[in-house]
Amino acid sequence: MTLMTLPYETQRDVELFLLREAKLLDTGEFEAWLALYAPHGIYWMPSKPGQTDPKGVASIIYEDYAILAIRVRRLLEARALVLTPMPRTTHLISNIEVTPGTDGEFAAEAAFMCIEHQGDQQRLYSGRHTHQLVRQNGSFRIALKRVELIDSDGTHSPMTIPI
Amino acid sequence: MTGTIDQPLSRSEIRTLVRPDHVHRRAYADPEVFALEQERIFGRLWLYVAHESQLRNPGDFVRTQLAQHEVLVTRHQDGKIYVLHNRCPHRGARLCMVDSGTSRLLTCPYHAWAFRPDGTLAAVPHPKSYPANFSLADPQNHMQRVRSVDSYHGFVFANLDDSAAPLTEHLGPMREVIDNLIERAPDGEIEIADSSFTLEYHGNWKLHMENANDIFHPSFVHSSSVAPARAAPANASILDQDQTREMLLANGFGPTDWEGIQLTGLAGGHTFMTSFYKKGVLVNEQQDPVMQRYRAALAGRIGSERAAAVLAMNRFNNIIYPNLIINAQQQQMRVTIPLAVDLTQVHVHCFRLKGAPEEMFHRAIRFLTTIGSPASMIFSDDVEMLERCQQGLVKQAGPWVNFERGLGNDRREGNGSIGGAASELPMRVQFEAWVNYLTQ
Repeated sequence: MTLMTLPYETQRDVELFLLREAKLLDTGEFEAWLALYAPHGIYWMPSKPGQTDPKGVASIIYEDYAILAIRVRRLLEARALVLTPMPRTTHLISNIEVTPGTDGEFAAEAAFMCIEHQGDQQRLYSGRHTHQLVRQNGSFRIALKRVELIDSDGTHSPMTIPI
Repeated sequence: MTGTIDQPLSRSEIRTLVRPDHVHRRAYADPEVFALEQERIFGRLWLYVAHESQLRNPGDFVRTQLAQHEVLVTRHQDGKIYVLHNRCPHRGARLCMVDSGTSRLLTCPYHAWAFRPDGTLAAVPHPKSYPANFSLADPQNHMQRVRSVDSYHGFVFANLDDSAAPLTEHLGPMREVIDNLIERAPDGEIEIADSSFTLEYHGNWKLHMENANDIFHPSFVHSSSVAPARAAPANASILDQDQTREMLLANGFGPTDWEGIQLTGLAGGHTFMTSFYKKGVLVNEQQDPVMQRYRAALAGRIGSERAAAVLAMNRFNNIIYPNLIINAQQQQMRVTIPLAVDLTQVHVHCFRLKGAPEEMFHRAIRFLTTIGSPASMIFSDDVEMLERCQQGLVKQAGPWVNFERGLGNDRREGNGSIGGAASELPMRVQFEAWVNYLTQ
C-alpha cells in the first residue's frame, strides 16, 4: 500500500492542509484560499470524465494563479450579480489518499461533497479531486488541483464558489 | 404559475400582446403562449439539429433536442441524413440512451426490434409469431421520421412542418455568417468541437435570445468581472496569452466605445451585431505569430484579397431566428432549447477551422470556456439577470415590458432595419417576427 510509505505525520499534514483549504472556502476567505496556490498553480475542473487535454477540450475551469486572482476579486466584489445574495458552502472531504511524488511533491486524492446554499436554494456537488502539492516553508502550496465533478459532462446551472 | 388562462389565445389577442414599444409579460410567463410558440414557431421553423462533421460515416448518430422532441440525427448507408424521433414504434420506449455513437442498427433493448439509420425496420425476433399481414416495410413499424431535413454548408436543420418553405429561404441573408465561418477555414471546412456545455436556467427562452444582441447591458451586468480584470496585471497568466483577461475587459465600455457598433434586424426575426470585439481576443492580435501564420494559410488558399475580405467581416452574435446564435469570428455557436415556459437549456459549442494553426482552435476552446462555461465569470451574471426577469415577469403587477430605447433612431435599409449600439432594435425585430409567426 502506497499509504504506508509516507510517515504518518506527513499524511496528517497533507490532510490538515486540505481541511484548511475547505474551511477557507466555507468561511469566504477567498484571498487566503488563493494564497494556498503556488505562483503558477492551476485549478482545473474538466468538462468530461477522465479528460486529459486542457487545451483542445473545453474545461469548466482551467485557470492559473493570475486568472484565479481575477475570479477571487470578483467573488469579493459587491456588484457580482450571481453572488447576490452571497452563496454559502459546506465543503466535505473524505477518503483521502496521499502518495509521495518527486522532489518533495505529494499527490492527495480525495472524495468531496459541496453543499451550496443561496437564497432559498441548495445545490449539491460531488466527485473526486486530486491535489498536486509542493513543500513550501513547512507547509504546502497547490501546484495543481483537479476537480472531477461526478456530473462534469452534465447539464449545469451557473457555478460560483470554487469547490 | 400565475397568468394561466382558460381559453386558447385568439390571433387578435396575440396581436394585443405586442406594441411597437412594449410587450406584455404574458409573452414570457404564460404557459398558453408557450404552447402556441411550440406549435407555430418551433413547430414550423427550421431548427438547427447537428453539424455534419458529427456524422461522417454511415451509422454515425447524435442525440439532440428538436423543439420539445428528443431526436436522433443519423447518417444512413445511402449517405443521407435522417432525423428520427427517439422512440421505438413497438411499445413506445425511448430507444437511444447515449449522446452520440456509431451503429449499423439501432436496436430497442425491450423486445429487440432493430432499425436501420433511416428508421426503417430491419428485423424483429421470432417473426413467425406475427400475423401474416405484419410487414417490416410498413411505415407504422418504423421509427418516426422528421420529414423536412436539410443542410446548409454542413449545418443540419430539421423542420417539424412537412410543408415548410426551403431552408435557404428561411436563412435568407443570414447565410452570409455561415458562409463566412466556412471561408475562414483555410481548407474550406470546419469541424464542431467534441466538447461543449449545456446550461439550464429558470427563465423563458426569449430572454436569452434578447440578451445575445443587447450591447447595452454589459457595462452594468459584467462590471464585477470588468473591474477585477482592469485591476489585474497584464500578461500574468501562463496559460492563455491573456485571452481570458482581454475577454473580461471587452465588456467594459461605455457610450464612447459604442461608435461603430451597429445592430441590424432582418425580416423573419434575424438580427446581428457588428464591430464588437474590435481588438479580437488578444492584446496584439495583429502582431501575433499564430494569427500571421493563419492569415498566410488562408491567403495561400483563397488569395490575399479574398482573405482580407473574409476576415474583415466583423460581427459578433448573429441570431438566426428563433434559437441559433453564431459568432463566426470566434468560431462559436449557441442553441437555445425551450423546455418549458420558465425553463431553458443553452447548448454552447465551438468549431475548428480546418487548415488553421491548432492554436486557433485552442483559442476557440478558451473562448467557449470563458464565455460559455457554467463557471463563466461572464455568462453566470447574464443568467442571473435572465432568471430575475422571469421571477419578476410571473408577477401580475405591471404587465408591460419596455423596449423603446432607440425606437426613433432606427432606420430602414433594404429588407431590414439598422440601429446604433444603444438601440433595443433586436428585441423589437424579434417580437415583430414573433407576432407574425404566432398569428399565421
